[in-house]
Amino acid sequence: MSATTTAETAVPLASTRIGRGRTMSVAEKAGVVALVALAALIPLVWSNDYAIGVIVTAMITLVLNTSWNFVLGIAGVWNFGQLAIYALGGYGTGLLMLHTPLPPPLAILGGGALAAAVSVLLAFPTLRLHGIYTSLLTFSFAQVFLFIVVNDPAGLTGGSFGFPTVKGLYSFLSPTAALHAYFWTILAVAVAATLLVAWIRSSRLGIALRTIRDSPAYAAARGISPLKYRVIAFAISGFIAGIAGGLYLSYNQSFTTSAMGLTPMSIDVTMLVIGGLGTIWGPVLGTGVLTGLQVSLVDYPGIQLTILGTILLVIVVFVPSGLVGLLSQIRRRISAWVAEDEIEDDVGVERGGS
Amino acid sequence: MQLTDVIGILVETVVLGSIYGLVAIGMTLIYGTLRILDMSQGSMVMIGSFVGWGVMVVAGWSPGLAIAIAFLITFALGTFTELVSVQPLMGRRGFDFEMVTFITTFAVAIVFANLALQIFGPFQKNVSPVVSGGIDIYQGVDLSYQNLTMALVSIGLMAALGLFLTRTRWGLAIRAVAQDLDAARLMGVPVMKLYPLTMGLASALAGIGGVFLGAKFFAYPGAGDLPLLEALIVVIFGGLGSLPGTLYAAYAIGLIQATAEVVVGTTWSLPILYGIILLVLIVRPHGLRGRPEEARL
Repeated sequence: MSATTTAETAVPLASTRIGRGRTMSVAEKAGVVALVALAALIPLVWSNDYAIGVIVTAMITLVLNTSWNFVLGIAGVWNFGQLAIYALGGYGTGLLMLHTPLPPPLAILGGGALAAAVSVLLAFPTLRLHGIYTSLLTFSFAQVFLFIVVNDPAGLTGGSFGFPTVKGLYSFLSPTAALHAYFWTILAVAVAATLLVAWIRSSRLGIALRTIRDSPAYAAARGISPLKYRVIAFAISGFIAGIAGGLYLSYNQSFTTSAMGLTPMSIDVTMLVIGGLGTIWGPVLGTGVLTGLQVSLVDYPGIQLTILGTILLVIVVFVPSGLVGLLSQIRRRISAWVAEDEIEDDVGVERGGS
Repeated sequence: MQLTDVIGILVETVVLGSIYGLVAIGMTLIYGTLRILDMSQGSMVMIGSFVGWGVMVVAGWSPGLAIAIAFLITFALGTFTELVSVQPLMGRRGFDFEMVTFITTFAVAIVFANLALQIFGPFQKNVSPVVSGGIDIYQGVDLSYQNLTMALVSIGLMAALGLFLTRTRWGLAIRAVAQDLDAARLMGVPVMKLYPLTMGLASALAGIGGVFLGAKFFAYPGAGDLPLLEALIVVIFGGLGSLPGTLYAAYAIGLIQATAEVVVGTTWSLPILYGIILLVLIVRPHGLRGRPEEARL
């Protein structure tokens, strides 16, 4: 048993060739802009505060998932400690809001900076590890952090009772106006985070990270430093996750330990895998689909998780590369089919003409 | 620290280590042959604890029968899990196999845990000890027959697994696949039949572990969560895919946890364990006996 071969473990992550990737056409860019504009209109036309609240929470999760996708999918580091980084952003923001006169937006940036700093520290030990070992190390880190918060000796975080209530970003607005303001703020942050990760993915940094992920030997031969790029990746990912944590704290006016742990982690990772790891649209689709599922199953509390687990199993078994992979497959089929059709049409025209 | 403490720690180490070993060795076996981390092992422990409760408390049958029934049921469920969550993904490309099977087996675990919640309810069910009574080893350090049986049966099962892997045709086939998949295929090993067998066997070991853990603690839908976490720590600490490494790690982790429980209390034992794992992985990136996955440059 001990002399296990290792060839099978090094299955390439994706058959995709690394490059700058397909650039979007003008029509597609216009479509995305229209989609964001439509999303921004939601609070104006839909006066259901519950639904708006669900979307706001989902968008905060989307920001977190985007940061996680960057380090897990694009950089290929099995980081399962991201929720601790997220929580650090939340608690850091909360402490700055409570104990300093900083304006709330700066407090959130400060939380993001703290999260980025700790994330960088976490990057160093992962350099020597591979795959599943990285996940245990990072998960251990998250568990130790969770434990420290729950048994908080200094009384800074409020332990398992939750962080003391803070005012948040929009305490000067009426509840509905504040909800709308949060909606637009967080939508803007989610769009910015997605654009940032999309831009990095096709930049030199992104190509270097994907090369280290898919072919460490080639990356080393080309002089790509894993240390440098991984530290940068963890810093960016940690910063975005910290901002997400700060927004969560600000929106909920508190932060509790229930945002960490195994259950939220499994839900977030599920969103990433269902959407498509390492893709730009993956977190968006995965977060949307899973939030929709959770909301539609709210009326069946007993069997909700059973159904969710079954759906997860079925989706992942049938489309292991995620919904983005499925959609691009369908698009390729359609364009192949259209191309075939065009050839037939051409032949038909020639025949008609003769 | 008193001598009684030391002896108490050693007794607890053997008991904890044996149970960890039983649950973790299945995970190692699965990782060695299938290259997946089976997250449904925890639910097999949970199912085993409910079988123990059903057979011994509800039906009032003997503990031996409970173990046999748990073996059969979890073997069947493990095979089923492999067929629905791993087999359909074999040989397909374009995704990270380890990551995706991690998710699918986890999905199966979610389904099992919540079905158990539906059927049995959330409350902890007391299971009568498999064997009652105990002996006083040294000045008040108790060794209950329950713990003794647990340790002995676990060690016996691990020894039986060792014999199975080294002496029987199917066991040799499993080891052949773990060593070199392609060569094993060329020698005519029916790999696609071997995978469900391996996972069934590993699950059955976890199921038997569950009967004992249920009797030591309780039977409830979350009974598999902590054993899963501990088994994960053990297999990665020992080096994935290495059976001897897993055994050493099981007792090492048992020792760490028993010591931490005596010295600083139960609440701190798990975080201390995680802290030690952090340090060990920084110093030895592939666990105690694991091998590097690729030559480092």
